Amino acid sequence: MAVSEASVTRKSPPSGGPPVSPLAVPPAWLPLAWLACAVVGLIGFGTTLAITANTIVHAPGAPTAVATVHIAMLAFLSTAVLGASHQFGPVVAGRRLRSVTAGLITLALWVPASWLLPFAFATHRPVLLEIAGVLAFSAVCLAAWNLSGPLLRRGRGTPVLGLRMAIVFLVLTAAFGATYAFDLHHGFFLLLPRRVLAHAHLGLIGWIGLAYVAVAEKLWPMFLLAHRPSTAAGDWAVRLVAGGVPVVAIGLLIPSVPLTSIGAGIVVAGLTAHLVSLAGVIRHRRRRMELLHAYVLTSAVMLIVAVWAAAIAGMFETSTAVRTRAVQTEIFALTMWLALAIVGHLHKIVPFISWSRMRKAGHTKAPNGRPLLFAHLVNAPAARTAYITGVIAAVSGTAGLAGSHVFLVEICGVALAITGLVVLVNLTSGPLRIIAIDKRAATESESESDSDATTETPTPVAVS
Amino acid sequence: MGASITEADMERVDAALHEVYDPEVGLDIVTMGLIYRVEAGMEKVIIDMTLTTPGCPVSDSLPEEARQAAARALDPGGDERVNLEIVWDPPWNPEMIDDDALADLGYRRVTD
Repeated sequence: MAVSEASVTRKSPPSGGPPVSPLAVPPAWLPLAWLACAVVGLIGFGTTLAITANTIVHAPGAPTAVATVHIAMLAFLSTAVLGASHQFGPVVAGRRLRSVTAGLITLALWVPASWLLPFAFATHRPVLLEIAGVLAFSAVCLAAWNLSGPLLRRGRGTPVLGLRMAIVFLVLTAAFGATYAFDLHHGFFLLLPRRVLAHAHLGLIGWIGLAYVAVAEKLWPMFLLAHRPSTAAGDWAVRLVAGGVPVVAIGLLIPSVPLTSIGAGIVVAGLTAHLVSLAGVIRHRRRRMELLHAYVLTSAVMLIVAVWAAAIAGMFETSTAVRTRAVQTEIFALTMWLALAIVGHLHKIVPFISWSRMRKAGHTKAPNGRPLLFAHLVNAPAARTAYITGVIAAVSGTAGLAGSHVFLVEICGVALAITGLVVLVNLTSGPLRIIAIDKRAATESESESDSDATTETPTPVAVS
Repeated sequence: MGASITEADMERVDAALHEVYDPEVGLDIVTMGLIYRVEAGMEKVIIDMTLTTPGCPVSDSLPEEARQAAARALDPGGDERVNLEIVWDPPWNPEMIDDDALADLGYRRVTD
C-alpha cells in the first residue's frame, strides 16, 4: 500500500529534529552491502595485523605495516562510515541521495580500491598504487557529490552539520593521498613523519572520528532512549573537533609546534565534550544497561587512552623510540575507539535495516509466530562474544604496541579477525534463518493445499 | 457523505492498534503508551500517536503500520476514514508504559 501523506500528519519534534520522510530512506541493500564489505574489511585488518605484527612493532614505516594500517582505515573504518552515511544522511536530513545508482558505483569503486591500495603498498607496485588511488579518489568525489544532496539541507541539526564537515575532511584526506601518488613521479612532497601524521589525523579524527561524534548525537539518545535536557555538549563536540583538526594538520604541515598544540587542545576539548555528551545520554537513559552501552563505554575508554598516548608523544621530552611507540599506541587506540563503536552500533543498525526490508518482503513473523522484532535478527550470545573478542583485541593491541610485545599484537589481530567473523555470521544468519523458515512454511502449506486438491478430485469413472 | 464512526468501529480500531508492535521493545504501541488519543470524529477516527524519540528507527514505518491497521479495522473504505497524526507533546517517556510491562523491561522511572 502506498504511503498516504495526507492521512499521516507529522509535526516537527520539540528538539528540532526532523520528521523522517519514508521517501528519503535509501533501499536497504545499499547500506547493507557497504556494511557487509566493512565487516569483511575488519576480518582482513585482523588477519593482516596478526601476520605483520612483528613489522608493525619494530618497523612501523615498513610497506607491510603501512598496508595493514590502510586496510584498517580504508577497507574497514571508512567503508563502514561511508555505508552508514548513505543510510544516515538521507534519513536524518529527510532528503534522498542524489542517486542510488551513484551509491552503488561508489561502492564498486571504493571496495576494490581499499584492498588494492594496501596490496600495492605491500608489494611495491607503483602502477597499482596509481590505479587504486584513481579508483579511491573517484569514489570519494562521487560519494561527496551524492551525499551532498541530503547533507547540504539546512536546519537539520548538529548530526548533519558534523557529517557534512566529515565529508569535507574525507575529500581532504583523499587529496592528501592523491598528492602522494602524484609525488611518486615528481618528488616535491616527501613522506616526512609530520606529513604522515597530518594525513593520519585528518583521516582518523577529521573524517571518521568526526562522523562518529556527529552521528552519535542522533544514535545515542535513540538507542539508549534518553531525553536529555540539553544537547550543548554534543554541539560543542562537533564544532570543536571540526575546528581543531585543520589547525592540527596545518600546524604539522608548516611545521609549527604552537599551532599544532593549539589545534590539539581544541580537538581534545571537542573530544572531551563528546564524552560529556555520552555521560549525559547515559545519565538520562530510560533503559537498563545493555550490550551497546558496554561497546560505547569501552570505545570511550580507548579514546581516553589515545589522548594520553598523544599527550606523551607531543608534550614530553622522550626518546624517539618512546615517542614512536606512543604515536603507534595513539593511532591504534583511536582505531579501536572507532572500531568498537562501529561494531557495537552495527548490532543495532543492521537488524533495523534488515527488519524494514524483511517486512516489505512479507516476513513479518518470528519463528514463534509473534511479530518479527529486531531481537529476532541478532543472536545475543554471539553479539556478546564479539564484544569480548573486541575488548581482548583492544587491550592486547594497546599493551602490545605500548610495550613492543609482538605476541600481544598477534593476539590482537586474531581477536579482531574473530570479532569480524562472528559479527558477519551473526548479522547475516539471523535474517536468512527467518527467510528459510518462512520458505519452508510456504512450501509445506503449498504441498498441503496440493494434497487437499488431490483428495477432493473426484475419482474418474471408467467408461467401458 | 461517508459512514459515521460507531462504537464497534472504535473497538475494532483499538484491538487493531494492540496488534502493532514496536520492533525493538517488543510491546504493542498501545501498551507502550505511544497512542495518546483515539477519538471518533464525524466520519473519521482521529489518532494521535508519538514515538519514543525523535528520529526513532521506525519513525517512517510504525505510524504507517498503525494507520494501516486502523484502516483495515474500518474496511471497507478504511483508508479514507483514519486520520493519524504524529505528535511530540508531551514527549513520550517510559512511565507511559503499562506498569507490568515496564517492570518486565527493566526501564527506569523518571525521577528528575
